[in-house]
Amino acid sequence: MTAPPLLRMRHISKSFGAVQALINVDFEVKHHEIVALVGDNAAGKSTLARVIAGVHQPESGTIEINGELVTLPRTAIAQAHGIATVFQGLALAENLDVTANIFLGREVREHGLLAEEHMETLARDYLERLHARIPSPRTPVSHLSAGQRQCVAIARTLVGDPQLIVLDEPTASLSVAQTAEVLTHIQSLRGLGLGVVFISHNLTDVRAVADRIEVLRHGRFNGTFSAPHDAYEEVIAAITGATTVRN
Amino acid sequence: MARHVLSSGSQSALREANSARLLGAVRQFGGITQVELAEATGLSPATVSTIVKQLLVAGIVETRSTTRSGRRAQMVTLAHKSGLLVGAHIGTRALRLAISDSRFELLAERTLPLPSDHRLDTTLDRTALLAMELVEGLGSTTSEVLGVGIGLPAPVDPTTGMILDEGLMRGWADVPIADVVSSRINSPVAVDNDANLSALGEARFGAARGFRDVLYVWASYGTGAGLIIGGEIHRGPRGTAGEIGHTLVDPQGPICRCGSRGCLDTRVGAQALIDSLRISRGPLSLSDLLEFASSGDPGCRQVVADAGATIGVAVANLAVAFNPEIVVVGGELAETESIFLDPIRAAVNHRVLITRDDPLEVRRGELGSLAPVQGALAMAADLTHVPGGP
Repeated sequence: MTAPPLLRMRHISKSFGAVQALINVDFEVKHHEIVALVGDNAAGKSTLARVIAGVHQPESGTIEINGELVTLPRTAIAQAHGIATVFQGLALAENLDVTANIFLGREVREHGLLAEEHMETLARDYLERLHARIPSPRTPVSHLSAGQRQCVAIARTLVGDPQLIVLDEPTASLSVAQTAEVLTHIQSLRGLGLGVVFISHNLTDVRAVADRIEVLRHGRFNGTFSAPHDAYEEVIAAITGATTVRN
Repeated sequence: MARHVLSSGSQSALREANSARLLGAVRQFGGITQVELAEATGLSPATVSTIVKQLLVAGIVETRSTTRSGRRAQMVTLAHKSGLLVGAHIGTRALRLAISDSRFELLAERTLPLPSDHRLDTTLDRTALLAMELVEGLGSTTSEVLGVGIGLPAPVDPTTGMILDEGLMRGWADVPIADVVSSRINSPVAVDNDANLSALGEARFGAARGFRDVLYVWASYGTGAGLIIGGEIHRGPRGTAGEIGHTLVDPQGPICRCGSRGCLDTRVGAQALIDSLRISRGPLSLSDLLEFASSGDPGCRQVVADAGATIGVAVANLAVAFNPEIVVVGGELAETESIFLDPIRAAVNHRVLITRDDPLEVRRGELGSLAPVQGALAMAADLTHVPGGP
């Protein structure tokens, strides 16, 4: 009766040579839900994000989107399934303006020419939906602060109406005011009915906006927590391995 | 916005419209350089420069030298030479902070989502950092801050400025919060309960202006009230005045965080409301619940309306005991408007004594979620005896 989850991953394993990055991991995201993925360095968080984004191929396991079994051999195919990802480096082009960055590689064309005005209108709309404080879609990215850049990177994910947004460390090295804006943007994404995967080291940020927290430790799943109910200490215990889940 | 003015076609009307557009952009960003102003408004750099000069002469804006991407630039802000006020509301799930000039014109504002049961040290640290960062964003330094007001969702002892009880904000009791923040920002800091500050905000700037005896109800993650008697906030010697969330509504009910049995908050606190929807909707946040109620979901609507009726009885009892001129309702639950307010109105107007001649008016607050922050700004101004407040 209940609808299948937006994303369901089962028994995902992935290794790089001798390094087992992911071992038999299950992961689920629903619509209108923020799922945080936490863990130490090299716990497998970014690897899982890259599997979702179609960058890495798992050696075993299944991926379902809205109940349909899929494979994500390339990033373009993940995008076609409505998955948009912001990696840690952001990968914005410094010399281009906000609009050009948002549509980079996915420019809208009319009669073979770039539909500049249409893209600018869309860009303005994306920024408004995120309540962004960016002077204009024509501002060059080199003029923006770290928080504003993160916002452009998030706005870029809205191109092509995605269902699932994956954010890898979006609040790392941001000031408090910038963190405030990015966390508010993340809540706005949820408000738009999207599923969000929020990867972070910062448990304060994670617990502020997430609905559910999934802990990875050495590539293994090590506990699931309710962000509003479970205490810091329980999550930290799972991250550090003080508590373990047998699986 | 000013399009009808534009159509008249006169030069001065055009100039007026352009300067209104420019001021709008300055308000939105707090501090913005002239180059960015040209981008944000679509006006030419020359026009921006001319208008800024005129506004500077009129004393409406100020400019400061700054750098952007290594180049010198002119930062434009609203005038605040006479100093800055900081108002913060450290709520259950969000920190809201605003900077205003001494005439309470908002210059910058941010909301930072907070985790449940957020920790005192992290949150106060972030409050101080956020205030400093926004002040610096206006091209000012913290030495220009005249005063800081902070609102908290728990009763605050008026003599010590400390939170009274361990149970209401875990880990926050017995800490001199004002001193902790004051040592960071280096200006006077005052702390009060958020319902009291919201009442003060609405009395100074909003729906309760001009009334001497006001019953203000703050319905959020928990419920509180601010009592204004003869134009002054009534706190009581321990600061618990108005804590209607901890009045008895159910003698057989569960034990509340405060330690008593059957408090109003055990029935209408955010957790109780969310729990009552667990079977039909699964886990929800308070903002989900209120959004679904506003968009017509019958289950969520009923939960909010029933909360209104339950709170309404407590408000009606208090109104009979204290006879206010008006009841003002704010907080997140009030955002659902009549769904929440009508049951309160019904409960209040069932009490014959207070409605014998005229019905007692139950009004929605005008300041919305900014009410505690506006009240905190007013308290910050009172702290430093800033003249020119309303």
